[in-house]
Amino acid sequence: MGRPGFVLEVDERTPPLLVHEGEGFRLQKFPLGSRVIYPPDALPGIKDVRGAIRRALAEPHDAEPLEELLKPGMKLTIAFDDISIPLPPMQEPDVRQLILEEVIELAAAKGVEDLKLIVANSLHRRMTGDEIKHAVGERVFRSFYPRDLTNHDAEDHANLTYVGTTNKGEDVEINKRAAESDLIVYVNINLVAMDGGHKSVPVGLASYRGVRPHHNVSTMLHSKSYMDPRPGHSAIHDSCARMGQLLKDSGVRIFTIETTLNNEVFPQPFGFMNKREWEWSLKEQATYLAAKKANEMAPPKLRHQVWMRVLAPYGVTGINAGETEAVHERTLARLHQQQLTEVNGQSDVMVVGLPFIGPYNVNSIMNPILVHCLGLGYLFNMYRNKPVVRPGGAMIMFHPVPWEFHQVHHPSYVDFFEEVLSQTTDPSTIESKYEQQYATDPWYIHLYRKSHAYHGVHPFYMWYWGAHALDYLGDVIVVGGNPKACERLGYRAATSFRDALEMAGDTVGRSPSITYLHVPPLAIADVR
Amino acid sequence: MARSTKHSLADEVRNVAKGWRWGRRPVAPRTAEAHTPPAEPWSFPTDWARSPAGRAARDLVLSGVMKPIVWNETSPEVFGLDNLEGVQPPVMFISNHSSHLDATLILTTLPPKWRNKTATAAAKDYFFDVWWRSAFTALVYGGFPIERGGGERATDKAKELIGDGWNLIVFPEGTRSADGWMQRFRHGSARLAIDMGMPVVPIAIIGAYAAMPKGRFWPKPGRPPIRVRYGRPLRQAEGQSHQAFSLRMQSAIAELFDEDRTSWWEARRRAATGATPKLSGPSGPKWRRTWEGSRDIRRRGRPPAWRSGG
Repeated sequence: MGRPGFVLEVDERTPPLLVHEGEGFRLQKFPLGSRVIYPPDALPGIKDVRGAIRRALAEPHDAEPLEELLKPGMKLTIAFDDISIPLPPMQEPDVRQLILEEVIELAAAKGVEDLKLIVANSLHRRMTGDEIKHAVGERVFRSFYPRDLTNHDAEDHANLTYVGTTNKGEDVEINKRAAESDLIVYVNINLVAMDGGHKSVPVGLASYRGVRPHHNVSTMLHSKSYMDPRPGHSAIHDSCARMGQLLKDSGVRIFTIETTLNNEVFPQPFGFMNKREWEWSLKEQATYLAAKKANEMAPPKLRHQVWMRVLAPYGVTGINAGETEAVHERTLARLHQQQLTEVNGQSDVMVVGLPFIGPYNVNSIMNPILVHCLGLGYLFNMYRNKPVVRPGGAMIMFHPVPWEFHQVHHPSYVDFFEEVLSQTTDPSTIESKYEQQYATDPWYIHLYRKSHAYHGVHPFYMWYWGAHALDYLGDVIVVGGNPKACERLGYRAATSFRDALEMAGDTVGRSPSITYLHVPPLAIADVR
Repeated sequence: MARSTKHSLADEVRNVAKGWRWGRRPVAPRTAEAHTPPAEPWSFPTDWARSPAGRAARDLVLSGVMKPIVWNETSPEVFGLDNLEGVQPPVMFISNHSSHLDATLILTTLPPKWRNKTATAAAKDYFFDVWWRSAFTALVYGGFPIERGGGERATDKAKELIGDGWNLIVFPEGTRSADGWMQRFRHGSARLAIDMGMPVVPIAIIGAYAAMPKGRFWPKPGRPPIRVRYGRPLRQAEGQSHQAFSLRMQSAIAELFDEDRTSWWEARRRAATGATPKLSGPSGPKWRRTWEGSRDIRRRGRPPAWRSGG
């Protein structure tokens, strides 16, 4: 059993600590007395994953065994999480592949013929054939792609079903094939607490109309935090739960399969990034030096290619199947066992190093809006109870924030950055003034449906994810950030950590308390 | 574009070196200690150091490196080696222990035929905690690890070596003296000598603490004098317990100190009446013991011509 997470207090024996900064990393000395939140050690992975899957399908929670739900002549749809999880992508075999193979094997044995697989990509970009093949494995890919294994299309109105509205007036519209199936089997990877549960089908297979009720500024401001999906803590999850209930009441039958992974994020020889710095061996210290220097000397394109080829050697720590809520409760318990670290009290400054990858730049570029989403959206929200930083405190991030966009994946991001953020950074103003225009723009819709572009409205959501942090923080400083890009985002750029602390002095005083959230591997701060 | 400050390779090496860890000794931050697992038990192999090649290498290092250094930086004198004549190996050499110089002084003063077949018992937790220290201890001192307070099991290796005819150097105090005065002997060495039926040769090392006390890794300047006195071999008396034998060993070293301070005849007379001064040092505060213990010992021989007095 791995060690639990803990909070380190920096003393004179503490070596410089690893900080990620996009497609780079550094060892950074922290002031004495700073706190550092470390996640628990990687939990041991399940040795016989296929066996565990079979057991989960045969002994589901609050549901009949999957075998009994499968019948000849039925319409079966299997939906699964898209490329946005896990991060980085898993080394083969991906756990989705293993589950799909078991489910399909059962379906074949029970004489199911009408079977379709759908990537639950919602408003994300369509996955390419190669990306799908990596996730589902060669056998599934060869049997189903492209006719019976497709990306969900949130703008194909002929293939969407309007299910109804919740008691709070939220529209629920999902993929027609899924809605009309006798059974939806949803295959999930629960990387963070935000994922899974009722967020799978009602969001993953939804249209813009079905996503809008919870992907908005008001919901984000009332999700404190959306990494804490307990009822009453996260408005977005409460909304998804209502939608899930509506689907259930409307007769949509869902068999949920959720999985959790351990903290083995970095493959060898970069395993030192998974370890606590004072436990690095001589070999690992040498590897750090070699990797750092090689990374700095490599041409940017080559460096990018290398980082994008990182595949995590994750171990699977849990597989649960059955009724969505019963399954998700167990999934969250396992996830917290892997990620939760207790922290006493808040601090004036929160420090994070942004890694090279976020949910929306797999095989792509982390543009400034995605930096905002990763830093102020996801990492700021990696807490339960209350944020790591006090109200009005400062957040210091490490990232180069390059003024760079992927023209195929993020076309609407370019315009959002140039046209919208140059006018205002206020989420509410942006929402009311610009969202509709982008969401309904025919060119963006065309690129979303036919190319591999994120939906036109997607950059807005990225901005909304950070709405709570923007509202809460007094200052955001990016060490090593492109000053012009940072200015556009409403941040300030610093050349060194020392400068950043100096700059933060205006907001938090000359000797602030500092907490560094040491990720990745991911940690959720349970702030007391 | 104001990118973050780039570091040179030298800066990076310096940065990494702050967390440098030469081997296995933990340097965890204090708040991380409770979360750091204990080092995995491991054992550094030392048999290679007692092979013919290892012995040749040790002889080379001791004669070519260690002895020139120690004998150049200090002024050792050796007495009583004649006591070894006619003694059948293996024997156990025991000595007071107040400096890192002690083992080197014994090994460089022993005649080669004894030295070549002598191994040193060294505390596992200190001398065998990291690979480079382990290798040094094994090579230079013929060291083998012994667990302090490890009970019966701790002496397994020692017994094996004695069985193979190796003499042992043992410091029965278990650790170096912090104030220069002799500490209570642990009885394990007496028990081992009795179990193996081997004679014990007491050695008094006088002045090593003043020359290089605990905390120093190089002798003080001025070639401080050190005297190494070998005593007569001791054997367990009929019916003598190991505790009593251990006290006898302690007294034998105290007598050698007395002999050094006065004369052989006076020391023998005091020993006969049980009046040999104890080596436990003066009572009183710690500073006083340290103060007295670190007093330079008297130089022997003719004073330099430019000094008026002796």
